Amino acid sequence: MAMGGAGPAIYARGISKSFGRQRVLDGLSVQIPSGITYCLLGANGSGKTTFIRAAVGLLRLDGGELSVLGRPVGEVGKIYSQIGYMTQHKALYPDLTVQENMEFYAGLYGLTKKEREERMSDLLQMVDLAAQKGRLAGALSGGMYQRLSLACTLIHQPRLLLLDEPTVGVDPRLRQSFWEYFNRLAEDGKTVLITTHLMDEAEKCRRVGYMRAGRMAAEGSPEEILSLAGLSPILKLWLAGQQEAAALLTAEGYPATVREGVVLVELRDRSSVKEILALVEPLDMRLVEPTLEEAFVLLAEER
Amino acid sequence: MTPGFARVGVVALRVVRQLKRDRRTIGLIVFAPIVLMILFGYALSGEMSGIALGLVDEGGHALLRQHIESIPDYEILYLGSESDAERLIGEAQLDGAVLLSPDGVRVLLDASSLQISGAIAAAVQAGAGRETAAKAGQKGAGPITTRYIFGYDLEMMDTVGPAILGLVVFFFTFINAAIAFIRERAQGSLEKFMVSPLSRLEMVSGYVLGFSLFTVLQSATTLFVVTAFFGVPLKGSPLTAMMVVVLLGAGALVLGCFFSNFARSEFQVVQFIPLIITPQIVLCGIWWPLQSVPEVIRPFSYILPLTYAADALRAVMLRGAGVTDILYPDLLALGLFFLVFFTAATMMLRREVA
Repeated sequence: MAMGGAGPAIYARGISKSFGRQRVLDGLSVQIPSGITYCLLGANGSGKTTFIRAAVGLLRLDGGELSVLGRPVGEVGKIYSQIGYMTQHKALYPDLTVQENMEFYAGLYGLTKKEREERMSDLLQMVDLAAQKGRLAGALSGGMYQRLSLACTLIHQPRLLLLDEPTVGVDPRLRQSFWEYFNRLAEDGKTVLITTHLMDEAEKCRRVGYMRAGRMAAEGSPEEILSLAGLSPILKLWLAGQQEAAALLTAEGYPATVREGVVLVELRDRSSVKEILALVEPLDMRLVEPTLEEAFVLLAEER
Repeated sequence: MTPGFARVGVVALRVVRQLKRDRRTIGLIVFAPIVLMILFGYALSGEMSGIALGLVDEGGHALLRQHIESIPDYEILYLGSESDAERLIGEAQLDGAVLLSPDGVRVLLDASSLQISGAIAAAVQAGAGRETAAKAGQKGAGPITTRYIFGYDLEMMDTVGPAILGLVVFFFTFINAAIAFIRERAQGSLEKFMVSPLSRLEMVSGYVLGFSLFTVLQSATTLFVVTAFFGVPLKGSPLTAMMVVVLLGAGALVLGCFFSNFARSEFQVVQFIPLIITPQIVLCGIWWPLQSVPEVIRPFSYILPLTYAADALRAVMLRGAGVTDILYPDLLALGLFFLVFFTAATMMLRREVA
């Protein structure tokens, strides 16, 4: 990677934080490597936002060790110019125009006029708001508002991006371009940490962390998570005499069940497709890859 | 962290842009004070509730004197001679005077306020009538002669106007600032600032700078209205008066920022009005002189910024005082008030986050 040799962008060991009697972070440990896209998944209240707020120094931890871009979190204030933080609140001024909102944030980070103009036109292009430059932010649609908020977060080209649900309300086509942009940032050595509810987005990240009750329930690349959950692809078969076929396949060592008139075969080894087809000769078939969603549901049930 | 003036400027510019676009707030800033001034102006151009009456008693009218002394509205000042009374009426210290002597009763009245003159004349007549009734058959009260004196025409509005000017600016700046900060918090920008190179000090400074430009505008319009429409004198420099108002406005801004920490919504900010604004109106000495504020609560008068702003504005407008004349205690107190709440507001922003 471009940031070869660099330590993790975020390093957390056994961090905990309680609000009153509620333990929101419960001994969380995670390393987020530099220069990748990392997705933090988890249900509401699993501690994702609390983790991000702790990483930018907005919360005092009860215990544990946390460092950001190589500095203990207590010193994170010194490197705020290298961090881009996008909260679930949009942090925009509805009574300023799109351009004025961006100028404001550019000013906070002390960009020169030239830098500002260049990046503004790049980012407006990326979030597809170039035509709305002069419009009041308050007059934008929900998705546009969200995109503007992202553009404002990126204006100072931070080394570490912490984005709390950045794609909410953004249509699929634009979401695609967001991800292309995030991946380009990662290629440039920037670290992009994203929280999301959307599993299909998580699959686009280099690494995924699944949080539950203030801890990391599973962590790794999407492929690793799938194998950790022990999920195999499923072969769906349409044929007559489903019960008999399922019994035959199971007896031959290919565990099969019948659901809604379709025979589902767990494909532990992809190369066995031919043998299965030879055994039952279906009218039609389809191979279904397992999803992260299924993996997480499974992992959540196991614990 | 050293304050970055560029960043302060960035915040100030943004505040100005926002206010500029918010037509209703602009309307409030410019026209609400005018409406208020006009309202106060007409309401107060008339009579006073506490009539200052001089009394020179050379004997012979015990009953008449008793009657006048028993009227609760009057503040009676006992004087030695008619010339004292005349002088004090001329200086607008007294609204009128009654001279009692065995030869008769003479009434001196301030010609500038007919209602007050009429009230005094009526009171004297009533007292004389009692005397006549009591002394039935003996010699009467003697002739009553009335003389008008054209003193300086100092209406209530003249004394109150300068203070109202301060009040209006204080009120609107406080409300606008508190709401602006509530919004920063609600829309998440405050949290974003916390994770940016912008320090709390720079942020509050930027607000003070941005808002002050509007306070200047506001003080200019209100100053114009009180002087042009209501003839309140402006003997001192308008710039000095505006400086007092801007300093007061800066104090109101940081106070609003400070109190925004205790409100969750714009709605709750409005509820601060009776708590924060009303005491200032009551205790600042605009309507009732500080001397009439009960001693137990008088210390409160002396910690409220409007008390000093009202005093300074009166001094500048009515007496033509310069900056050095109002430096102590007024400007000093206003400056101190600003600093205390500037610090408090900056520190509260920090606590919010921890």
